[in-house]
Amino acid sequence: MAHTIFMPAFFTVLTVVSLTVLLALWRSARTMPKAEEIRWHADFHDLPAADRVCRHVITGEFRSRECPNAFDCGRCETHARMPKPASDGDGEIYGMEFPLDRFYHRGHTWARREADGTVTVGLDELGKRLIGAPDAVDLPAPGVRVHANGTAFRVKRREADVRVLSPVDGEVVATGGPRDEWYLRVRPVNDNFTHLLRDAEVRPWVMREIERLQLALTAEGAPASLADGGVPVADIAASYPKTDWDAVCGEMFLQP
Amino acid sequence: MDKFLIARGLKRCSTARFAAWILPWIALLGFGLVAAGLCLIKGLNQTNMDNRFAFGLWIFLDLTVIALGAGAFFTGFLLYILKLHELRAVINSAVIIGFTAYSGAVAVLAIDVGQPLRAWFTFWYPNVHSMLTEVTFCITCYLTVLAIEYVPIVLKNRKLKEVPSLLVFEFQLHKVMYVLAGVGTFLSFFHQGSLGGLYGVLRGRPFAFREGLFIWPSTFFLFILSAAAVGPSFVLLTTWLVEKISKKRLVRTEVLQLLGRISGLLLAVYVLAKTLDTLIWINRTSPSAGFPAAQFYGWKPFGVWILFAEIVLFGLLPAIALLTPKLRARRGLLVAAAALACCGVTLNRFVQTVQTLALPTLPFDKFLSYTPSWQEVGTFLAVVAYGVLVYSFSFRYLNLFPEERELKLEPAAPQEEEEMAYAGR
Repeated sequence: MAHTIFMPAFFTVLTVVSLTVLLALWRSARTMPKAEEIRWHADFHDLPAADRVCRHVITGEFRSRECPNAFDCGRCETHARMPKPASDGDGEIYGMEFPLDRFYHRGHTWARREADGTVTVGLDELGKRLIGAPDAVDLPAPGVRVHANGTAFRVKRREADVRVLSPVDGEVVATGGPRDEWYLRVRPVNDNFTHLLRDAEVRPWVMREIERLQLALTAEGAPASLADGGVPVADIAASYPKTDWDAVCGEMFLQP
Repeated sequence: MDKFLIARGLKRCSTARFAAWILPWIALLGFGLVAAGLCLIKGLNQTNMDNRFAFGLWIFLDLTVIALGAGAFFTGFLLYILKLHELRAVINSAVIIGFTAYSGAVAVLAIDVGQPLRAWFTFWYPNVHSMLTEVTFCITCYLTVLAIEYVPIVLKNRKLKEVPSLLVFEFQLHKVMYVLAGVGTFLSFFHQGSLGGLYGVLRGRPFAFREGLFIWPSTFFLFILSAAAVGPSFVLLTTWLVEKISKKRLVRTEVLQLLGRISGLLLAVYVLAKTLDTLIWINRTSPSAGFPAAQFYGWKPFGVWILFAEIVLFGLLPAIALLTPKLRARRGLLVAAAALACCGVTLNRFVQTVQTLALPTLPFDKFLSYTPSWQEVGTFLAVVAYGVLVYSFSFRYLNLFPEERELKLEPAAPQEEEEMAYAGR
């Protein structure tokens, strides 16, 4: 009697555990091509709650809401119901230029549609000031496929080694660099820019990013302090030689 | 030097300071391994156990660490099955506590059994009528589950997650974690129970023998309840200790409060069940075996005080403190209550193991005393050192507390404000 209950129960448990691990392995093999997408989902899950907020919280339309779609607003029913942002206003914020002829990714890249159907990708002004003069840039070769929220290119500055996130899906057709004001030219696989910020959304987002930057630069355990009203300098990294720049860049470029 | 391995945004002490912290523990582990090696090579004559006192320090250690490590299965159950998402803040730490507790217990059992090369016999020729077989099977299975649960935490290491195949495997493994949490709960439920049942079925030991339901003596259920009750307390206590040692805020006060509340609730149920069980044993079970219960408490130092300490001092008092919002809201009392609860389960496992065997049961029998040999103590200390080392390395190189990065930027609320904020919960 005991044999008939105990041993099957034991082997059932072993089977369930083994099948669970095998299932994970099988799914891993099947989803390997989507590694970049998975990396973003894993990173998004690990972001602090304050960094996962919905874009409509940033604009003040909602008081609090966590993005349930890892910033893929194309899948969001709530976003589809919201009014489109107004296109007025200028692009200067805290002494930095954020031209409104382009779309902005929350990882501090921008995407601009070009007349020939390609999309130019670059670092926004705050991203540029965070990196300053990069020590090294690792750009993908033309022909490489980049994924929205996946790695567009890598930048090194001091101890920081950052994966800059791509705002669009597409194939790289040309590469620039820090001197060109743009980094990649991409032939997009679709014309969907819904997930990117634009027009009137840009100002409140940048203001929030400045707050995040101030927090990231605040020494651990520092007392609450008042903002001094200044504007970000051209090379922020050089102004904070003792700060853990890897941590600051990780925070600002959405890499936990 | 090893900064590239430390999670981004987390501050850890210098490599030299970390080395200074782990060196004494490595020395202790080394000493323990020598002691354990002697037991394995020369045999169990290196211990002070004998045929009459067959359970000693090691079994006490096993029972205690397995009860304290129950935080892993119970926190997993609360998070993945009951969806208490607040506990995400401590689940990684709970898994590592569970893993070190169970792996340490299995290692000591392998030495205690004395023939590690024949360890597979228990699986190939199982005595299905023995509670110990169930314990062996469940502990082995659950250790496997804990090792699998540990894998995603390791794969989240900063360098390892750069490897796409490891990142994808971690992601997919995490998605099926609720299955492993369910299996872990099932296994823990049974082996915690079987460990208790092991004593409850000892008819020849009226101090431990208990009546019960169907084939399970009451100790089966008491062990499950007590382990589930102190598991969250031990997670709370460990978190507080790591906060103190590392001088960092690792989890929000609400999470510690929640752990305390869960622990308090289960502890209250346990105290009630234990009291009823003791009353039934005093008034029925023990007299029917020919032993007035008071007789068991006439042997010094195992007086009635030990029963009082187990039920009231380490049971009722912490349960009240953990269930009273105003008391729970005070960090010092919360931690003290959790520590008392952990002491309670430690004392209970000590009583079950040592007092049971020390008491005479036959007219010509004597009250026995047992002092562990240095080899036994060394092996015991090796498990402690192993646990501290695994946890220390995990804390340094893995992200054990997901809220740590956020909390370092938040100013700590004054104690009074926290108390006011949570007094009503």
